Amino acid sequence: MNRPIHPSRRGMLAGGAALGLLPFLVNGCTQEMTPGDARHRGVPLRTLGANEAAILARLGEVLLPGADEAGIVHFVDHHLSVPPEQTLLMIRYMDVPPPFGDFYRAGLAALDRYSRTAHTLGFPDLAAESAQQVVGALGRQQPEGWRGPPSQLLYFVTRSDAVDVVYGTQEGFARLGLPYMPHIEPEQAW
Amino acid sequence: MSARPEKVDAVVVGAGAAGSLYAARLAQAGKSVVVLEAGPPWEMSDLVSSQIWARRLKWGGPPVEQTSQPRTFGHNSNMGSGYGGAALHHFGTWPRMPADAFRLKSLHGRGLDWPFDYDELRPWYDRIQAEVGISGDAAAEPWRPPGAPYPMPGLQQFAQGRILARGFERLGLPVAPLPAAITTIEFKGRPPCQYDGWCDAGCPIHALANPLATHLLQARDAGAELRPHSTVLALLPGEHERAAGVEYADRQGTRIRQEADLVVLAAAVVQNPRILLNSRGPRWEAGAGNRSGMVGRYLMLDGAGAVYGMFSESTENHLGVSAGQLMHRALYGEREGAPFGSYQWQIGWAMKPNDIFGVAISRPDLFGQPLHDFIRRGSRHLANMVAMVEQTADPANLVELGTGTDRFGTPLPRIVHSFGRDTTSLWQYCAEEGQRVMNAAGAKETWAGRMNGGHPAGGTIMGNDPGTSVADSNGRLHEIPNVVVAGSGLHPATGGASPTFTLLAVAERSADHVIRNWAELSA
Repeated sequence: MNRPIHPSRRGMLAGGAALGLLPFLVNGCTQEMTPGDARHRGVPLRTLGANEAAILARLGEVLLPGADEAGIVHFVDHHLSVPPEQTLLMIRYMDVPPPFGDFYRAGLAALDRYSRTAHTLGFPDLAAESAQQVVGALGRQQPEGWRGPPSQLLYFVTRSDAVDVVYGTQEGFARLGLPYMPHIEPEQAW
Repeated sequence: MSARPEKVDAVVVGAGAAGSLYAARLAQAGKSVVVLEAGPPWEMSDLVSSQIWARRLKWGGPPVEQTSQPRTFGHNSNMGSGYGGAALHHFGTWPRMPADAFRLKSLHGRGLDWPFDYDELRPWYDRIQAEVGISGDAAAEPWRPPGAPYPMPGLQQFAQGRILARGFERLGLPVAPLPAAITTIEFKGRPPCQYDGWCDAGCPIHALANPLATHLLQARDAGAELRPHSTVLALLPGEHERAAGVEYADRQGTRIRQEADLVVLAAAVVQNPRILLNSRGPRWEAGAGNRSGMVGRYLMLDGAGAVYGMFSESTENHLGVSAGQLMHRALYGEREGAPFGSYQWQIGWAMKPNDIFGVAISRPDLFGQPLHDFIRRGSRHLANMVAMVEQTADPANLVELGTGTDRFGTPLPRIVHSFGRDTTSLWQYCAEEGQRVMNAAGAKETWAGRMNGGHPAGGTIMGNDPGTSVADSNGRLHEIPNVVVAGSGLHPATGGASPTFTLLAVAERSADHVIRNWAELSA
């Protein structure tokens, strides 16, 4: 407790790797990789089903293009698999009672149902324009016929997840040309 | 099986700002002290510079039930878990409460009076200020009540602060360096701030005065024993209207009786009432200290809302501190036509791209490529300031016991809260005033966010009348003389001012009273 991190450590710490690694289980062994790498390598998800993952990937991509590539599905999936007091998702701030997986599952299912009702296709299969209409509608107000947790809350937290994975890391700051300036560099981006 | 460690002089419930101060003062006075903290034992090395990792410092305990829709509290982001409590991630905005706010009922016919006035608290503000250090410029604050000048010069200004100061100046509204518990020069061995805007993630270099850098460190050095992952469930009834100590559960769920001569309840605005209301039995039928039915009542939140402006020039909004660079305050009745209440502007917050104080959240309506475009532009050209507007005490806003239970079988707290017309009108006034400032500063586009809740207070208010308050003017429960409450839960009014400096001044005053009257308390 009593050991301040000396300001001069910043330079040393800033030289670290910190590539946004997370522990993933691959063939029975834990390996550290970014959620984006985990996505590319097809690392099995811990909590979300395949259809839920497809809906979340599409939702993230519509909210902020690049979120799918950056690993939003593995980011969310990982943090739904840890105890609620350890999760780093925005949902933690929303005073939603845990387990948070219940909120995501119900919200993603509601989105898919609404998509099928309004556009006759599941959300992952919607054309780009239709997907944007759906996301815009659920962010503005709860669409008529919506059955699930508040659509605006789903929009808000998944939009935040997308911003986290694309811009909330050192790589994200670099994309914006912003200096990260850490006192203590995160060993894992999330 | 229930364990029963050795009795101590004092048990302190909660290792946040107020609990840490009490633990330090009692241990320094030679008392045996145990601090029970429900959360983890954070260390400086845990304060990782990341808005994503910052979230683990926020509330991680059992859920809090809420009845209001939309939810007005923002409980989990306001509160803390673990050593340092909410003060571990607080921004270090340390204004003094307006003198009028201590006599709100008497002077303005609204809310409640404190049991003492500003002059009584002034020397305790000065004492904390001298010990911990505040940066600012007292002469530049026309709203500041009398007190010793700040021991450190004001925060460094960057483009965002200079631009917004221009807007205030053109409207004839004064601004001053934001009074901050943040070092601007080396202060008692603490290095000066580096203005990198990671305050919300916790300051690991001791520049921002969180309890790990100040009173909790003092408490440990003076011999206080800190027990993390220790959730206090209830007070234990003792003899002669006193408490015998507390019952708590450790990480494994073992129930432990910790006996003590003095109990300091410093578990913040929601958990303090919860512990008292859960302390039921033949002695305390309505909960400990609750014969009057006042435990939990008068929950208050500041209404908190941001105003934004997009400028053509660079705002350097990645530089500075989370609290802002400048402050403007409006006291009661200063603005012709304004709704009732006091408020403060925190001007020029440092921003990150993500999270609840970031660039992206300022335009929640945007998604897709327009969101990318906005974040890129906003990271260079956005300016922001946040109004904290007062809510006056209303007994209908309260903490009570809910229907659910935690893993120990103890009822959860439930929040019943809404903002009244004064607060919502005052925020609307501020939203318009803030946009006038942005326009006067030369913004190309301005807009306001929505009002949320922050700076919780009340729930265990102090007062002179046992029928209308929970604790006396020293924080001692009217009904249980060896239990003292610490923290902003004691405050009968907030003045729309960030509460940490005030709650520490109150705790310093009360701890001094406890130590000077120890023989009576422990008898």
